Amino acid sequence: MHVHELNPKKTMITMIIFVIVIIIGLVTLSKPRLNYAITPEETVVLAGSEEGFVYPYELEDILNKTIDTIVLVDIRNTFQFGRGHIPGAENISAVELISKENIKRLEALKDAGQVVLIYGNNLVEANGPYMLLRQIGFDNVKVLMGGYSYYKVWKDKLGDTYSDDSYFIGNAQYDYAEVAKRSSVSKNDNGASEPKAHVAVERKKKSKAVEGGC
Amino acid sequence: MNKNYIILMGILILLSAGLLVLPLKNNSKQLDPEVMMWDIVQPTRYVSTDEVAKMIIEHDPLLVMVDVRSAEDFQLFSLTNAINFPLDSLALDDAKSALTFNKRNLVFYSNDDLKSDQAWVIAKRLGLKNIYVLKGGLNRWIQTIIQPEAPLETASEAEFNLYAFRQGASQFFTGGSISIDQSPQAEVVVSRKKKAKAVEGGC
Repeated sequence: MHVHELNPKKTMITMIIFVIVIIIGLVTLSKPRLNYAITPEETVVLAGSEEGFVYPYELEDILNKTIDTIVLVDIRNTFQFGRGHIPGAENISAVELISKENIKRLEALKDAGQVVLIYGNNLVEANGPYMLLRQIGFDNVKVLMGGYSYYKVWKDKLGDTYSDDSYFIGNAQYDYAEVAKRSSVSKNDNGASEPKAHVAVERKKKSKAVEGGC
Repeated sequence: MNKNYIILMGILILLSAGLLVLPLKNNSKQLDPEVMMWDIVQPTRYVSTDEVAKMIIEHDPLLVMVDVRSAEDFQLFSLTNAINFPLDSLALDDAKSALTFNKRNLVFYSNDDLKSDQAWVIAKRLGLKNIYVLKGGLNRWIQTIIQPEAPLETASEAEFNLYAFRQGASQFFTGGSISIDQSPQAEVVVSRKKKAKAVEGGC
């Protein structure tokens, strides 16, 4: 025989505590403000594709206002932005981009079919923010290859960048094994081995307009 | 039986039924996107080629180099004691358990820092700790460590020291011989006081 059965009030108290604990648990169950929309495996696929990369020559059409479905966002700091930026770009740092207001705005832009093109000083600088925004569901976010540093050099002849390779990154510039071997054979000739003559890069077909997200 | 017991039982059964509607995959172990963005904008994840060279030479027991290039590239050339986890064929669960070293520092590298940065973002999301990216990747490794460029004559002493370190590192990694022009040192003439017979007193 249980002690509780002798004292109905005690059971009542136990029950109330039980319910309170459950309610507290449910209330404090914190839900993160932002959630991942794609799995880590899908992120790996994303990392392997260049679908979200915008080539510098595509910028020409954007700047000529031939396309009006692009919002340019400069994620560098205000100082760098002040020293020079791509005309028409807004300055929103990566961290600000996921603030409550900007998330709402990004959602509105996504619904309106607008592409958000972000850039940093170079591709790698904007790559992290780009990947994060993609992971939380903004598949209308794209990133500019070469970044601002490349744009600055080529801004007057963006169309010519179609035949330039220097903004492609991720390729080996040397035959590593060969270089390491050569260095061990003779270092005396002081021969800094020349970078590989030409790295073949795969390139998207030139299209007039930056196509929208999927 | 007490009526309260029946109510208690009822609540428990209801709650257990709630378990059925919970999502299959528990994502709570993944890093909160908001926290992740703060980490992404920090440049602290980058380590320079010089720092890594130093750690390898000193046999830093905490260092684990992770090569995210393809297996073929890894076969041809890799950094000392690196392990290979190609980014594109990454079986994430395997990779995560294999890369979860207690308190070890993982340094991702690829040709430059694009692929390694992508691997970093994914690893970060999976909750891996103490992960870094080799700034500039193998391209910069060759430029700075294997084939260091001599500083200008007007460069600061720090730059010359760095160059000396890189030359030594180059020798360490390639096993090559480096000819360091050591101009024969001019003979130093030591001028010596004449030996005096007796210790002369002061004034």
